[in-house]
Amino acid sequence: MLRFFSRRLAGAIVILLVISAVTFFLFYAVPRDPAMLACGKNCTPDALEVIRKNMGIDKPIPVQYWEFMSGIVTGRDFAQGACPAPCFGYSFANSDPVWDTILDRFPTTVSLSIGGAVVFLFIGLGAGMIAAWKRGTLADKVFSTASLVLSSMQIYFVGPLVMALFVFNLGLLDQPKYVPLSEDPAAWFMGLLIPWLVIQIIFTANYTRLARSSMIEQLAEDHVRTARAKGMSGKFVFFRYAWRGSLIPIVTIFGVDLGSLLGGAMITEWTFSLPGLGKLAVESVQKTDLPMVMGVMLFSATFIVLFNVLVDAAYAFIDPRVRLA
Amino acid sequence: MTTLTKEADVPAPRDAGASGAFLSVRDLYVHFDTEGGTVKAVDGLSFDLERGSTLGIVGESGSGKSVTNLSILGLHNPKKTDVSGQILLDGQELTGAREKTLESLRGNKMAMIFQDPLTALSPYYTVGRQISEPYRKHTGASKRDAHLRAIEMLDKVGIPNAKLRVNDYPHQFSGGMRQRAMIAMALVCNPDLLIADEPTTALDVTVQAQILDLLKDLQQEFGSAIIFITHDLGVIANVADDILVMYGGRAVERGSVEEVLRSPQHPYAWGLLTSMPRLSSDVNEELVPIKGTPPSLLAPPPGCPFHPRCDYVDQVAGGKSCSGDRPMLPAGRGAACHLTAEQKQTFFIEQIKPRLG
Amino acid sequence: MRTARVSVVGLAASALILTGCSSGGGGGDEGVSKDDAAKQQVKYEFGDEQASTGPAEEVKGAKKGGVLTVYQRDSFAHLDPAQMYVSDEGSMSTLIHRRLTTYKRDNSGKYTVVGDLAKDSGQSSNGDRTWKYELKDGVKWEDGSPITSKDIRHTFERQFAPFVSEGPVFIQQWLAGKSGTGYRKMLPDGPYKGKHLPDKVLETPNDKTIVFHFKSPQPDLPYALGMAGYAAVQEKGDTKEKYDKKPVASGPYKVASFKSGKSMKLVRNDNWDPKTDAVRHAYPDSHDIQFGVSYEASTKRLSSDSAENKTAVSYSNQVDASSMQEVRSNPDVKKRSLAGYQPYVGKISFNMDRLKDKKVREAIAYALPAKSLMQAFGGSGGGELGGSYLSPTVAGHTGADPYGKAKKPLGDVKKAKKILKESGKSGMKLTFAFQNSPEWQEFSIAAKDNLSKAGFDVQLKDIVSDTYYDQIGKTKNKYDMYHSSWGADWPSASTVIPPTLDGRQVQDGASNYSHYNNPQMNKEMDRISKITDADAAAKEWGKLADSILKEDLPDIPLMYYKQIQLHGSKVGGVVLNDVISGIDPTQLYVKK
Repeated sequence: MLRFFSRRLAGAIVILLVISAVTFFLFYAVPRDPAMLACGKNCTPDALEVIRKNMGIDKPIPVQYWEFMSGIVTGRDFAQGACPAPCFGYSFANSDPVWDTILDRFPTTVSLSIGGAVVFLFIGLGAGMIAAWKRGTLADKVFSTASLVLSSMQIYFVGPLVMALFVFNLGLLDQPKYVPLSEDPAAWFMGLLIPWLVIQIIFTANYTRLARSSMIEQLAEDHVRTARAKGMSGKFVFFRYAWRGSLIPIVTIFGVDLGSLLGGAMITEWTFSLPGLGKLAVESVQKTDLPMVMGVMLFSATFIVLFNVLVDAAYAFIDPRVRLA
Repeated sequence: MTTLTKEADVPAPRDAGASGAFLSVRDLYVHFDTEGGTVKAVDGLSFDLERGSTLGIVGESGSGKSVTNLSILGLHNPKKTDVSGQILLDGQELTGAREKTLESLRGNKMAMIFQDPLTALSPYYTVGRQISEPYRKHTGASKRDAHLRAIEMLDKVGIPNAKLRVNDYPHQFSGGMRQRAMIAMALVCNPDLLIADEPTTALDVTVQAQILDLLKDLQQEFGSAIIFITHDLGVIANVADDILVMYGGRAVERGSVEEVLRSPQHPYAWGLLTSMPRLSSDVNEELVPIKGTPPSLLAPPPGCPFHPRCDYVDQVAGGKSCSGDRPMLPAGRGAACHLTAEQKQTFFIEQIKPRLG
Repeated sequence: MRTARVSVVGLAASALILTGCSSGGGGGDEGVSKDDAAKQQVKYEFGDEQASTGPAEEVKGAKKGGVLTVYQRDSFAHLDPAQMYVSDEGSMSTLIHRRLTTYKRDNSGKYTVVGDLAKDSGQSSNGDRTWKYELKDGVKWEDGSPITSKDIRHTFERQFAPFVSEGPVFIQQWLAGKSGTGYRKMLPDGPYKGKHLPDKVLETPNDKTIVFHFKSPQPDLPYALGMAGYAAVQEKGDTKEKYDKKPVASGPYKVASFKSGKSMKLVRNDNWDPKTDAVRHAYPDSHDIQFGVSYEASTKRLSSDSAENKTAVSYSNQVDASSMQEVRSNPDVKKRSLAGYQPYVGKISFNMDRLKDKKVREAIAYALPAKSLMQAFGGSGGGELGGSYLSPTVAGHTGADPYGKAKKPLGDVKKAKKILKESGKSGMKLTFAFQNSPEWQEFSIAAKDNLSKAGFDVQLKDIVSDTYYDQIGKTKNKYDMYHSSWGADWPSASTVIPPTLDGRQVQDGASNYSHYNNPQMNKEMDRISKITDADAAAKEWGKLADSILKEDLPDIPLMYYKQIQLHGSKVGGVVLNDVISGIDPTQLYVKK
């Protein structure tokens, strides 16, 4: 177990290093100069020089990369003040500390993803299993068709549609808005209800299909037949034998989905104007805000990598054949 | 012993109820509806089996041998399968029986051992748990008792250190041990009927022999009737009392082990024998596989299903046509073939036997 | 000033610049009516003490109280006045920061430059080389301490400090008498190491008085002092870089909370005395600002007028181009919309190093369909046909249209063909570079169509939006023509003509995109810059702009950008203020 986690941790660090390097160098491959953007009227070479120095982009790119990466571990000093580890520097666009900004945006993304995920996971699994159980019946056809239709939809299409209907026309639901849970739980819930519903509609559809097909696949397994051959009831076989095996693909996809949602649900956050990590990422790219882009990228990647490790750990929990090593 | 009588004059089909056999299958038809049409997996099959005896069912893949046994256990998909005929287990009708009834019989009065113990055991639960589950269900035993029973069974099937291994997962067992565990699971409720579907095919030869010995020993101890499905005549010679040769969803020959192996009557059985290597044969002698391919179950050949592959179609006399008339299998010892008894004997002795060495 | 980067990454203008402008604005659905006589003689008056005395005239029907919800696309990057340049910040800035002067808009839509913290718009002497300002009585910081001339001196001195890099630099340059960043040498550390500007440059004879001494005449000073970038900073409360997150307020509101990228809450500043302010009100109890609301989202929300959007507004979010038609055709939404000018003039710049023959440029100028551009930007809500360098919001605008861009909005292909034939260059290759955004793509196709008919072999070259201005800003670029836009910093042509047409400004990254260099015209610019009578100067600029266009044609103007803004039905006092290019937040109130 310990060996598994330490090995995976090492692997994760390598992956994150690669991602960071690729991001950093790609950023400079685009012919945009962040200093130029920040340089006001009558920008002159001297003024640019000052800004570059303030931004810490006056040095060769590999040196900058090294300073950035080592700063994460050791902290750095900037014109804006000391930046304790984990230091991702200060935003080029508004001089906010990157790490604080990320921590500030994260609760929005967490609320959005976890809330959405809980709903879509459970409803999706339920619907999928009913469809598999009642395979070939009307219920199965209804669920399967609905999930096919819904899963082919996109958040940026469904989102505005749901908003137009429930918020703007009927006035039944609140306009999406993030209010911290600690501040006002009711407002938190109401403000996120629509985004949850919309994420849910699309993800649930996927999980329904996934759960259905993997249940059906599992039901055809030899060991499931064996269980029936020894007289176990259909329900028992379904929930004990088939279900356990069908969890593996579901957990895999769920891990990836939740990991990337936590890393920033860009389209969802953008569609509903929610100030989460995904929106921060898009805005930072638009503003050529390298430290912010790097910070968000690494933070998101960490979640994706972390959830990959968790998924693998979950395999071991579900399937005794998998050993954590 | 078996009820398969050696006298050719016993009429068929007999009244099943009157036979007193433990398992009696009469005119069994198993048809699946598929998109391509109706698959006639089993197409009119009858046989009987008595307590404590072993029936070997031989045939190529797709001959209907596995389907027959799945329908005895009622493991086919009822929505897509059309089963007709009669299956009497100890006087109880199984075709059309309620799922609940079948559930209470499965693993209890009748049990099955599958071919590949790797896939047939669930990877997610311990061997002990999988063995004790049916025991608890059918006997109402406590968890603890069931666990002890599982250890006892593992011990019985020859798993060393059963007390510890009972908590292992199937993947921690070797192939032979897994099949032993499978057997332990099947026998945990002392079933009267044990169906072994190619139980040794996936195992290597030395392990095969051990498993066969184990089955024989256990049969003596438990007194179960066994249906032993295989395509391996060598295995069957070892374990069975009687043999049923199946082809294209039908029985084409039956008799005692002795009879069928010593003097087979059906050209298909000849083919099976000549295609099997023997220790005594000359290494340079070629094995002769049966020409052609197994028949389509969607559109089986008319008449004798074996006729497209048969070398003796021309020899049939007496106005019967292999491609037109379906030969019937007589009750008791016999073969479903239009050749006359003399022809069968002559051809076997003159053409087949020499090749068997 | 910076170029208007209209349509960056599928969004409209990313950085609106603080700007001045004449009339226009005005409430009502049509907003700007076209070309009436008043607008062709744009003129800003410098207000006296009476015009500068508070309190401001009440907004009709306005009541105190309520919470105003404000949707903004971009978060405010800066709260420190010295770092402010874009107009979103300028709008908010007027709620929390006061300057020496500001722009007062009366109910008829006329603008006057008046004293804000100062008693009047300034007393000049010595041929506009010396400007004296006296502070009003009773002006205070949010902590209750009085605003003194020391604070004002500090405000300007800190602009010399190295950390201040993003605000305007006009006054620093004027004080130093140097262009570029040379002014920084005058006070390299700002006031932070105990050094100050000498009295002969910036003088504070007493706590109430501040005197600017310039080396050359600076008739535009009252305009420049009204920029958000020159708003007052408290000396005692100056935390240098950190001031950008926590400024000390002098205006009617103060910052209760500011979460960059998420939200901002402004609450009333009790130490702001309305009697000292001729311009501002503070009707709502607070402004709850939400950032990150795209133009599409704010348009949908505000046009729905659903419960929580009834009391909502945006200072500067515009109706997105794709919704304009709907906004204008739905009467319920239309009555809650305002249309006004943006400070930008959209034009096609000719690369004079490549298109040396004026006949060729003329042919192109005649051929281009200005109307297609207007349609691409959402129709008459997005722009107005225009044929001259000075927009209707700039003093000196003449309404000249020498190439018939407003009169023949579809382009005059026949005439273009004839002129091109005369030049003997029919069939010549012509590379047209444009920003890869839906609007410019749409226009480029229409333009290519007309130009081809006129006899050009047009090559279209689309450039990724983000890098567009970097690409065309290279003096050695390989394109024959490209679009560019420019807006005034304040409503004087002095912030339009020299930056875009002075031939001595041709360099990589500079805004003379056509590389136009006519020594005679350069000399004329120098001459007009020295005229101290603002009216006379405006007239001269207008003449110069028209003659450059007629005689040399370095760029062909096509359109004056406009915008439409929306507000909820329970928001009152909604007027467009062209100085801040958007709704004036100081006049808003929440209807009961």
